[in-house]
Amino acid sequence: MAVSKTKNDSRFVIVGGGPAGLTAAYELACRHYQPIVFEKYDKVGGIARTEMYNGYYFDMGGHRFFTKSAEVNQMWQEVMGTDFLRRPRLSRIYYKRRFFNYPLKPFNALRGLGIWEGLLIGFSYLYWQIFPHRQENNFEEWVTNRFGKRLFRIFFKSYTEKVWGISTSELSAEWAAQRIKDLDLKAAILSMFVKPKQTIKTLIEEFDYPRRGPGMLWNMVKDKIEERGGQVYLNTTVVKIRHRENRITEVVVKRGDQFEVVTGSHFISSMAITDFVRALDPSPPQAVLNATDKLSYRDFLTVCLVVNQPKLFDDNWIYVHEPNVKVGRIQNFKNWSPDMVPDENTSSLGLEYFCNEGDDLWRMADEDLVDLGKRELDVIGLARASDVIDGRVFRVEKAYPIYDSTYQQHLQVIRSYLATFDNFQTIGRNGLHRYNNQDHAMLTGMYAVRNALDGETYDLWSINAEQDYHEEIRREQDAVAEKVINRVFPRVFTRLEPVAFGTAMGVVSSVSLLLITLWVVLNDLGAVARLLTLLNQYLPGYEVSIFPGALFSVFYGFILGFGPAWSLASLRNAVMRLYVSNLLRQAEAANYEESPSSN
Amino acid sequence: MTKDLSEQEKNLEKIVMTRLVRLSAIVYGVVFGLVLGSGLLIATLWLVIRGGPVVGPNLSLLGQFFLGYTVTYWGSVIGFAYGFVTGFAIGYSIASIYNWIVNRLGKE
Repeated sequence: MAVSKTKNDSRFVIVGGGPAGLTAAYELACRHYQPIVFEKYDKVGGIARTEMYNGYYFDMGGHRFFTKSAEVNQMWQEVMGTDFLRRPRLSRIYYKRRFFNYPLKPFNALRGLGIWEGLLIGFSYLYWQIFPHRQENNFEEWVTNRFGKRLFRIFFKSYTEKVWGISTSELSAEWAAQRIKDLDLKAAILSMFVKPKQTIKTLIEEFDYPRRGPGMLWNMVKDKIEERGGQVYLNTTVVKIRHRENRITEVVVKRGDQFEVVTGSHFISSMAITDFVRALDPSPPQAVLNATDKLSYRDFLTVCLVVNQPKLFDDNWIYVHEPNVKVGRIQNFKNWSPDMVPDENTSSLGLEYFCNEGDDLWRMADEDLVDLGKRELDVIGLARASDVIDGRVFRVEKAYPIYDSTYQQHLQVIRSYLATFDNFQTIGRNGLHRYNNQDHAMLTGMYAVRNALDGETYDLWSINAEQDYHEEIRREQDAVAEKVINRVFPRVFTRLEPVAFGTAMGVVSSVSLLLITLWVVLNDLGAVARLLTLLNQYLPGYEVSIFPGALFSVFYGFILGFGPAWSLASLRNAVMRLYVSNLLRQAEAANYEESPSSN
Repeated sequence: MTKDLSEQEKNLEKIVMTRLVRLSAIVYGVVFGLVLGSGLLIATLWLVIRGGPVVGPNLSLLGQFFLGYTVTYWGSVIGFAYGFVTGFAIGYSIASIYNWIVNRLGKE
């Protein structure tokens, strides 16, 4: 293969032909550079690729196209033009043969689960609002604090354990927190009281989509790169990455049985960071290799089924919470785009099974997997097995980086080591070991090029595309937010000082009882005195007299005033604290998105 | 990372529940006054409407403290006035003493 000399003798070598790598290459091509891209699969798109079988297109994972990043959106529009469709979004939870809205809505859940179950969920929710886990050490505790234990068991446990293959009590609470990562405290507090703007709602309820899936976009991007002199090599694996004096010097690529050495001046990689580190020659220090061994991924396979029914359900995808089947999520590709299906009398489904590369499910024969898919589809009642007329299995490696309790510290070791290379940047979901969406991956590609060419200093590890639209909310509401946060909130949510309130009530009560006692004694009010004396049934020693009655009245009056008032103030503060915490958790829960969602 | 509830709530508490409430003496006075005045008005009217050979023997003892108060229609109005004044004094005193203590404590 010939390697192009490019503008100013800069030779960009890009490892990985997924959204991040291709975007970097596209950016370079637009700026008259001629990058060379190596992709190990037979098609571009990486984990956002689209497979094709008998005229049916299958999007691996389902990828919504929505972004508030103007530059990402511009690239999509520029490349896709009229092939970009605006599609409505519907994704629900499927449980016990019923659909449930997500985010959960009380009446919808109540209708689906019944009044008795609804009551139990309500009690459970109340219990966990009043007595939450003080430390949220894992996913289970995080969700329980926001939804209650019973709802957690029904709507979170089964699906999450299918996805990650580990108990929810072993899954880091950060996973859930990551799903609401852009909801900082300020935004959370605001969202307790301020409804999201219509523009944001629109983004959530609709999305853009290429007519024949994301693969259509990435093929067009590949063509445009090549039209401008860049090269994209498929079926080409980078097996060695050589470096010297803090610079990557060349990569060794394997294509079929052929090996070739490719030199470059700049290297950008979106391959899994673990694979990259292991391919380095000479090898990095042992500590870095050890850290690499500690990072892990979750993989999935899609059983694609063609069903002889024109319409199955309205959703783009559904989350399957049925505990008695292995399938975790089902894509209905016809609802993503009608062009994904060649025959309008049929539908195509993608039954997604989350697994680990090499485990029993991963190694199961394709025919057995198709049978399993048909069976499970029948069991949960979405389609009859007899209606399935064709099937095919596709496997996706390293689909999701796993966030376990120690991944951050290991990632930091690798990150520090990679930072020593002057002419290298790692990008994309697996390049950064960061669960992020397609538009985010693309931004890392764009910014990597700008860092290399324009001397920019974008921190690719902290780019977050979703931030953009949350930022927009913040900008729009900033004036209100500052006022609310800094001035109104502290004044509205105040504390009542229990000792001061108790003392005030105690003093007033004490003085009142003293005056009444003295008044009765000094005016010799016999009838009133008899009634007042009854107080000594509760206040031993009290009598209507100057001494010791007046003395006791001061003492008892204070106690009678202080006790209830102190309790009242403490209770009022506790309830208000609970109320505010509860509002915060509700705001977080409302912003939690089931994962993996389709992006 | 462990998403720590207490950490999150501590952040929250940096914004809310930081200040001690100051009570408005006038508002407290009016509220206490209205509650006590209305209470006495209703209690008196209730007994008057119910009637009987001796109307409100126990409640009428309040006349020992509130000069002119009787368990009658007119007495209920006088009772409201006394109740309001007494309640106002109690509420006003509670709020004033509370504020004085909080200020003395020097808390925000």
